[in-house]
Amino acid sequence: MFMDIIIYISLAFLLFFCLMAVMSHSMLRSAIYLALASATLSVILYMLGAVWAAVIEVSACSGLVTVIFISSISLSKMGKEDVQKLFATKKQMGLLPVLLVFVGIALVILAVSHGFTLPSVAQEAADTFRTVFWDTRQLDILGQIAAVLVGGIAVSVLLRKDESEK
Amino acid sequence: MNYLNSVAASFILLPVAVLLINNILPKQFVEKRFQYLTGAVALCQMAAALSVFFMMDHAGLRTYNFTIFRNLPGSELFGIHPVSLVFLFCIGMVSLVSVMVANRTVDAKKSAYVNLLMTLLIGMNGMTLVNDFFSLYVFLDVVGLSSFVLIAMFRSRRALEGSIKYLIISELATVFILTGLSFIFMKTGSLSYKDIGSAVLTGSSTMQTVLLYASLILITAGFCVKAGAVPFHSWLPDAHQSADTSVSILLSGIVIKIAGVYGLFVLVDLFKGVKALQVSLAAIGILSVVAGALLALRQTHFKRIIAYSSVSQIGYILLGLSTGTTLGLIGSVAHVFSHAAFKTTLFTNAAAVHEQTGTLEIDEMGGLQSRMPVTAFSSAIATLSTAGIPPFAGFWSKLLIIMALWTSGSAVLGGFALCASILTAAYLLRLQKKVFFGKTPEHLASVTEVTGSVRLTEILLTAVTSIVGVFFPFILLYLQSKGLI
Amino acid sequence: MQIFNFETVMLFVGILMITAGFYCMIRTYHMLKIIIGIEVSIKAATLFFTLAGYLNGHIGLAQAFVITAIVLEVIVVVVFGGVTIRLYQKYGNVDIRNLTRLKG
Repeated sequence: MFMDIIIYISLAFLLFFCLMAVMSHSMLRSAIYLALASATLSVILYMLGAVWAAVIEVSACSGLVTVIFISSISLSKMGKEDVQKLFATKKQMGLLPVLLVFVGIALVILAVSHGFTLPSVAQEAADTFRTVFWDTRQLDILGQIAAVLVGGIAVSVLLRKDESEK
Repeated sequence: MNYLNSVAASFILLPVAVLLINNILPKQFVEKRFQYLTGAVALCQMAAALSVFFMMDHAGLRTYNFTIFRNLPGSELFGIHPVSLVFLFCIGMVSLVSVMVANRTVDAKKSAYVNLLMTLLIGMNGMTLVNDFFSLYVFLDVVGLSSFVLIAMFRSRRALEGSIKYLIISELATVFILTGLSFIFMKTGSLSYKDIGSAVLTGSSTMQTVLLYASLILITAGFCVKAGAVPFHSWLPDAHQSADTSVSILLSGIVIKIAGVYGLFVLVDLFKGVKALQVSLAAIGILSVVAGALLALRQTHFKRIIAYSSVSQIGYILLGLSTGTTLGLIGSVAHVFSHAAFKTTLFTNAAAVHEQTGTLEIDEMGGLQSRMPVTAFSSAIATLSTAGIPPFAGFWSKLLIIMALWTSGSAVLGGFALCASILTAAYLLRLQKKVFFGKTPEHLASVTEVTGSVRLTEILLTAVTSIVGVFFPFILLYLQSKGLI
Repeated sequence: MQIFNFETVMLFVGILMITAGFYCMIRTYHMLKIIIGIEVSIKAATLFFTLAGYLNGHIGLAQAFVITAIVLEVIVVVVFGGVTIRLYQKYGNVDIRNLTRLKG
């Protein structure tokens, strides 16, 4: 019961923060709303029992991605008036809450009329997270290492200063 | 068995080793010899693919599971099938062509090119070797990131624009695939190939069936975006036109096929008998064939015409896949190989023309046939192979696909695919006429034939197309004797 | 209302988040806003994975998937940010409507 209430409140906050991140005018505010959404998501993940995923979510998304994002924003800084003039955010994204309300109502009507139920919670499987991550999914770790390598190469190729650039 | 294990493990370990070598040795030494380093990897991959095929045949195995790392017994992480061996051979062949062209066209940033090519190889080999759908997704992301950085590598305005368009649409596809995977995971307990199957679609409540069908739609859409099928093809011409030609060879020759078509192979293999999947793949296929050919008719940039031609040929491969029969599967795999051969020939010709004349707009060219005879000849052979004229390799693969369509009931589609060959011949002949025949404009009067590794590549690829085409019946008889047809 | 336990509500919130994320990716003109769209969509996929893991008991496997997806997402943000900064240095602003050189 207690868990249910916390999850409902967190889901509402998550949706609200994501909506504000998409619809906000200034990029800095969008970044902060995104960080708050990450924090809320990690609370939900913790309540569902995914402890390790919650920790990585709050440290990587809410921390690392926000830092990268804000440094990108400051490296490509435009004045406030230029941003307002070029990107008429209010006009573009104004349609979004209406769209979301429609989709939500459609989903609720579909669910009630067809009697959707998700399966009930099953027994906990025998493997702990440790054995699964480090032993069974070793291929994913190899893939992640390759991806991090590509990221490093990308930064060195794309952002190095070159004298012969026009 | 141990020998087979180590040869098969070399698919992943060899690019990793070359990556380390490239970064540890001093930069001057490596940059002078980069083509030997990467060419050696590509040749070893081709040799390994062929030898694994014969070794598996000798040992009588149909599939082979192996592992590289210290692992729990009984949970092999990698698996090889004959279909994935053809893909691995094509990867090696196209990488070799790309390296031989990059020898001439890549002047700066050579070590970055080698690094990115090695990560691309790790990603593509990983995709074809795994036994698990989520690992396929991880390596798919690695392939996407590597190709994205390869396009943007030279930092011109057009290159950055092409790569941004590619990245946005590719990310959309990646999120589609991830969401679809999570819905499948909701029903089964894991995402490895053994646990997913057609049985998944039965015996569940209404909501789960809806979610499973939604996941099939999402995953198919995601892989079709990556393959460049219509109506998701809008990134393909821009990315191919703006990248350096050696990167375009990689993209069109193998990346769209591994990232897109191989995923659809896996999907069709796991969800056999789902009628909706076959029908939708057939619809997307025929739309790609016709729309790609029609759009190619009005282009004026050499590489853009070839890029739209790729869209059209991917449509043929999807048509062969949608029949669900073994003949269609073999036709699609054969078309993957012959498309790799003739498309890389056309891109090599584009590189040769660009090197010698400095332009790629076909309105500015003409009459190059007398001045660049080798290029003109290989381009003509590639055109005949694409249009499906015997005895080249393209004829056999198209024949198998159309026969598969005819025998599995949708004769109308077979007729359409046959008639679309006329359109294929049309736009390619237009390209040939404008570039190689006709009158030479004055500013191109002193153009000479391209020399060195590009000319060697053209000759080798023409030979491959012709020889495989002439000996294809023997290959079919051999496969039939092994019981694979 | 037996239908609306928190799992179903979580599924619906996830679908709404994906809609919002895709809408943002498609309609915006600011290059960095596209990253926000990608992020929101991948957060929704994370939510779906964890919900699925909670429902069929394999929460360890779901966590492995989620961690891998988060690592890949960070790399995509890094690469995208790099290209955006390059484009800003060439064009002076991060408007995506500048990119009109490749036509046809």
